[in-house]
Amino acid sequence: MAQAPTKEDVTQDVRVAAKAVDAVKVYGSGDAAVRALDGISVEFETRRFHAVMGPSGSGKSTLLHCLAGLDSLTSGHVYIGDVDLTTLSERKLTLLRREKVGFVFQAYNLVPTLSAIENITLPLDIAGRKPEASWLDTVVSTVGLRDRLRHRPSELSGGQQQRVAAARALASRPEIVFADEPTGNLDSRSGAELLGFMREAVRHFGQTIVMVTHDPTAAGYADRVVFLNDGRAVDEMAEPTAERVLDRMKSLAGD
Amino acid sequence: MWRATFKGLLAHKVRLGLTALAIVLGVGFVSGTYILTDTMNKAFQNLFSTIDKGIAVQVKGVSKFKGGFGGDVGQPQRVPGSLVAQIAQVPGVRVAEGELTGYAQLVTPAGKAIETHGAPTLGVTAQSDKQLAGVATVAGREPTSSGEISIDAATAKKFGFHVGQPVTVLVQGPSVHARIVGIFGFGNGSTNLAGATVVAFDPTTAQRVLGGHGSWDTIDVAAKQGVSPSDLRDRIQRILPRGFQAKTGEQAAQENADQLRRGLSFFNIALLVFAGVALFVGTFIIFNTFSILVAQRTRELGLLRALGASAAQVRTSVIAEAAVTGVIASVLGLAFGLVIALGLQGLLRVFGIVLPSTSSQVLPRTVIVALIVGIVTTLVSAVLPSVRASRVPPIAAMRDTGPAEYTRSRRRTGIGLAVTVVGVAALLLGLFGGHGAALVGIGAGVVFLGVAILSPLFARPIARALGALFEPLDRVLSAIGNLFRRVLGRAERYSGVSARLGTENARRNPGRTASTAGALMIGLGLVGFVSIFAASVKASANEALAQILKADYAVIPTSFSGPNVGFSMDVGRRLQATGDFSAVSPFRQTIFGVHGNAQQLTAIDPTTVTAVENIQMTGGSVRALGDGDLLVYKETARSNGWRVGSVVPVQFAATGVQRLRVVGIFGDNRALGSYAVSLSTFDRNVVGPLDASVLVKVRPGVSLQRAQRAARSVTNQFPNVKLQDQAQLRETQAKQIDQLLGLITALLGLAILIALFGIVNTLALSIFERTHEIGLLRAVGMARRQVRVMIRWESVIIAVFGAILGTAVGAFFGWTMVRALHSQGITVLAFPGKQLLLYVVLAGLAGVIAALLPARRAARLDVLAAITHE
Repeated sequence: MAQAPTKEDVTQDVRVAAKAVDAVKVYGSGDAAVRALDGISVEFETRRFHAVMGPSGSGKSTLLHCLAGLDSLTSGHVYIGDVDLTTLSERKLTLLRREKVGFVFQAYNLVPTLSAIENITLPLDIAGRKPEASWLDTVVSTVGLRDRLRHRPSELSGGQQQRVAAARALASRPEIVFADEPTGNLDSRSGAELLGFMREAVRHFGQTIVMVTHDPTAAGYADRVVFLNDGRAVDEMAEPTAERVLDRMKSLAGD
Repeated sequence: MWRATFKGLLAHKVRLGLTALAIVLGVGFVSGTYILTDTMNKAFQNLFSTIDKGIAVQVKGVSKFKGGFGGDVGQPQRVPGSLVAQIAQVPGVRVAEGELTGYAQLVTPAGKAIETHGAPTLGVTAQSDKQLAGVATVAGREPTSSGEISIDAATAKKFGFHVGQPVTVLVQGPSVHARIVGIFGFGNGSTNLAGATVVAFDPTTAQRVLGGHGSWDTIDVAAKQGVSPSDLRDRIQRILPRGFQAKTGEQAAQENADQLRRGLSFFNIALLVFAGVALFVGTFIIFNTFSILVAQRTRELGLLRALGASAAQVRTSVIAEAAVTGVIASVLGLAFGLVIALGLQGLLRVFGIVLPSTSSQVLPRTVIVALIVGIVTTLVSAVLPSVRASRVPPIAAMRDTGPAEYTRSRRRTGIGLAVTVVGVAALLLGLFGGHGAALVGIGAGVVFLGVAILSPLFARPIARALGALFEPLDRVLSAIGNLFRRVLGRAERYSGVSARLGTENARRNPGRTASTAGALMIGLGLVGFVSIFAASVKASANEALAQILKADYAVIPTSFSGPNVGFSMDVGRRLQATGDFSAVSPFRQTIFGVHGNAQQLTAIDPTTVTAVENIQMTGGSVRALGDGDLLVYKETARSNGWRVGSVVPVQFAATGVQRLRVVGIFGDNRALGSYAVSLSTFDRNVVGPLDASVLVKVRPGVSLQRAQRAARSVTNQFPNVKLQDQAQLRETQAKQIDQLLGLITALLGLAILIALFGIVNTLALSIFERTHEIGLLRAVGMARRQVRVMIRWESVIIAVFGAILGTAVGAFFGWTMVRALHSQGITVLAFPGKQLLLYVVLAGLAGVIAALLPARRAARLDVLAAITHE
C-alpha cells in the first residue's frame, strides 16, 4: 500500500494514481450495442483534483465505475496505482476498494442506521482497522461536523450528509477518491462548501480526487478537467474556471 | 385499478409464492386432516359392512352407562348363553351363534409380546358358520380345539407368523399355548382393524380364555332364505329379556363404524388444532408481507391517489390482491392436503395401522372448509395493511419518503394491553372456571395476539441487548476466520462489523421485526408451554411416587397404550404363590359414571394396599372398604358434599346404576385418582377385568435378590409385563411423558416451519428495500461474506427475539396450567431451564438457516446496479 502522503512531498514526485488504457465498454449486443467507452486512454495523477465532464451519454460515469472497480471493461485495462483491475477476482476487487478507494455518490451515500461518525469510520470498521485518531480529528474538523457526529443521517441536511460522505471517503486515507456528481442533489451553497472541502483535501492533505460532474461551477474547483464525448477523451483543460469550462462544453455540444 | 392490481401481483411471483406458502401449508394440514379421517371412516364402514354382511340380526346387552360423547364406555352386560338356543327356535332363524371378544396378545417366537401402539389386541370367537364369521380364510382352516388358533393376515404378515407355528397367547388368566392352524383376512385380506391384532379361538376355548363364564358379547343370527332382517329382528326382540337388544346386521355395522369414528374424532380434533395453530402463524406472515409491500409501494400508491383513485379504491386493490393470493393458495393447499393425507397414512402404517384400501375421500365439505379457511385467513390478515394503504396521501408520490419511521404509539400500547388482559381473562376463566378447553385455546390465541401487538415496544431494547451479546461473538468468530486465512496464506481479513449492522437492521423497523418474530413466538410459546407442563407432570409424579410408594417392586404392562391396558390376573396369583412377598396388591382400572360424567375408577385390595402405598385418610379407613363401598378423594367429596356414610349412585356399563356407600375419604394420591372400590366390587360390575399393575412388598427376612428372582420367574412367563423397582418406575413414567412431548413438539414443528418461511419472506423484502444501502456497503469495501453474515445476524436476532417472547408467554401458560391442575395431582411447578435455553439457541440456528437464501441474494447484488438504480 502507498505511504500516505505528507504535506512536504505534495509538490514532488508526481505519479499516476489511476489510468485507463484503450478501455472499451460495450453494453448490449448486436444492433442494440452501445459503446459507452470507445478505446479511451486517460491518466489521473496523484495529489490533484480531477474533474471529468461531458454531455449525457459521453461515458463519464462508466469511466468512473470502471476505474473504481465497480464495473468491468469489455476490453483494455484500468489501473489503480500499478494494479491492473481487469486481472482481479471479485474478492480482490472488494479488498482493493476497501483499502485504496474512497467514494462519494450523488445520493444514498450513508447507512441510515449508523450515526455520522459511524458512517465516517465504516470502511475502516469493515476492514477491521483502527481509525487513526489524529487524522480522523483533522477530517472531522475540516468538514465542520463536530457537533453532529452522533446524529443519524435522517437528522442531517443534504449538504451535511454529503460532507459526512466526503469525510468517510477520506477517513481511510485511500489512494484515490471517486466522486460521482457529489453536488447533484445540493443547493449551490451546500455544493460550494462540499467542493471547497474536497479542494482542501487535495491541497492540504495530498489527496487524489476524480470527480464526475456536469456542472461547470463544480468543475471550476478542480485542478484539471478531462472532457469526454462518445466514449473518448476529446480534450482537457488545466487550471479551469467555470466560464472557460462552460464555453468548452458549449462547443462540445455543438460538435 | 384492477389492471394495476393484477399487474402488481404478476410482477412479484416470488413474493406471492412466499406469502402463499404459509397459507398453502396451513390449508394443506386442515384439508389433509379431513381427507384422512374421511378416508378412514369410509374404509372402516366398508370393512364392517363386509364383516357383518352375513349377519341378519345381532343381539347385544344395552350399555347402562353412556359416556360424555354419547359413545359406549366400558363393555355392556353380556348375553347369557342360554339365549342362543331360544333364539335359534325363533321362526326364520337359520343359525344363531354366540360371539365373545376379549383380551388376547400374541407372543413372538423371540418371547416378546407384540406391540400395537395403542390398538387393541383382540381375542375373538371363530364361528363355525361361514356366513356368520364374515372373514375369509386365507390359509389353513378354522381352529376347532383348545390347542388351536387362527390369526388375522395383517398380524401374520407383520410379525412373521405362519400356519403350523406354535405360539403363546397372553389372556386374562393363565397363558394359552396353541398352534396357528389358520390365517384369515378382513376385506381384501391385508387390512387390519386400525392396527388391532386378532386371535380367533374355537367357541369352547373362547369361553374359557376370554372369561365368558357361559355368556356371550353378542349372539349373531343368520336368516333363512327370504326372511327380511328387520322382521327377524322384531321377532327376536319379542323373546328377549329386559336389558338386551336385537339389531339388524346393517345397524350393527353402522354402530361399529360410528364407534370407531368417535374414536377417530379425537385424532381428527387433535390434528385440526395443530392445523389451526399453523394457520394462526400464517396470518402473522401474511399481515407482515402485505404491510411491508404497502410501505414499499408508498410512492406508487401516492401516484394512484394523485391520478384520481379514491381511498376506497386503493383499499380494495390491496384486498383484491389478498383475495387472489388466498384463492390460489387455498386451491394449492387443498392439493397439498391430498399429499399430507397420504403422508399421515404412511405415518399410521409405520405405527402398524393399515387402512383398508379405499380411494382418498375428498368430500365437498373438505373443499368448502379449505377454501373458506384459506381465503378468510388471507383477507383478515390483509385488512389492516389495506387500511394503511388507503391512508397514503397523494403528496407521497412527490416525496422521496422511505418507509415511515416507527413511533411509539400510546394507542397501540393501550390496545395491546387490553387484548392481552382479555386473553388472560379468557384463559383463566377456561382453566379455573371450568369453562372448557375451547375457551382456554381462544384465550391463549388472544394472549399471543396481545403480546404481538405490544412486542414492537420490546423489539428495540431486546435487539440491542442481543446485539451487545452477539457483537463480541461476531468479533471472535471473524478473528478465528482470520486466523485460518492467515494459516492458509490468504491476504484478506474480515472484521466483526456485520453483527453491529445486522443488529441495527433488526432495530430499524420494530413493527416489522416484531410481527416477523411474532410468528415464531407462537410456535415456541406452545413448545415452551408443553415442556414446562411435561416437566411439572414428571416432577409431580416423582414426588407422588416418593411420598406414596412403599412397595419394593411393581409389575406393570410393557406398553401403556391401548384401550384394554392390563394383564392377566394370574400374575398376581402366581406372585402370591412364591411365598416371598408379604403383600401382593393388584390395581385395576375402568371408566364409570358419576352423575352421568365419565370418571376413572381404581380398584384396590383393602387388605394389602396399605402395605404397598401410603394413603392419607382424612375420614374413615381403607380397611373398612368392603363389597359395595367406595373411597373418595377429599376434594371430590367436598365439592359433592359427600361424607363418610353418604350413599352415591354410580353407573357401570355392564350392570347399570349401583349405590355405593362412602366409607373413607383420602388426601392427595395420584395412584388412586378420585374414586376407589374393592377388587370384588370391581369384578362384579366390569366385564373382562384385568390388572393394571401389581405392587409387591418383600417378606421380612427374604433377601431382595431372592425376591427379585422369584418375581422374575413369574413375570418371565408374561412377556407383556415387566418388573420394576422404584427408580425404574420413575424412569418409565418420565419416558412416557417424553414420548408424548416429542410427538406434540414434532406437530408444532409445522407452525415453527411456517414462521421460518415468514423470516425468509421479511428478509427478502427488506433486502429488496435496502438495495441502495447494500450496494453502498459493497462499494466501500464490504465483502460478500460480510454482507451474508450481516443478514444472518439480523435473522438470528429476529428469531431469538421471537423465541424469548414465546418462552415468556409459554412459561406463563405453563404456570397457569399447572396451578389449574393442582387438584389433578400436578403439584410441582418445574421449569426445564436447560431445555428452554436449548430451544432459544435452536431458534437462533433456525434463523441462520432462514437467512441462507436472502443472504445469498443480498451478497450477489450487482453493486453498480444497486448504487446507480434510481
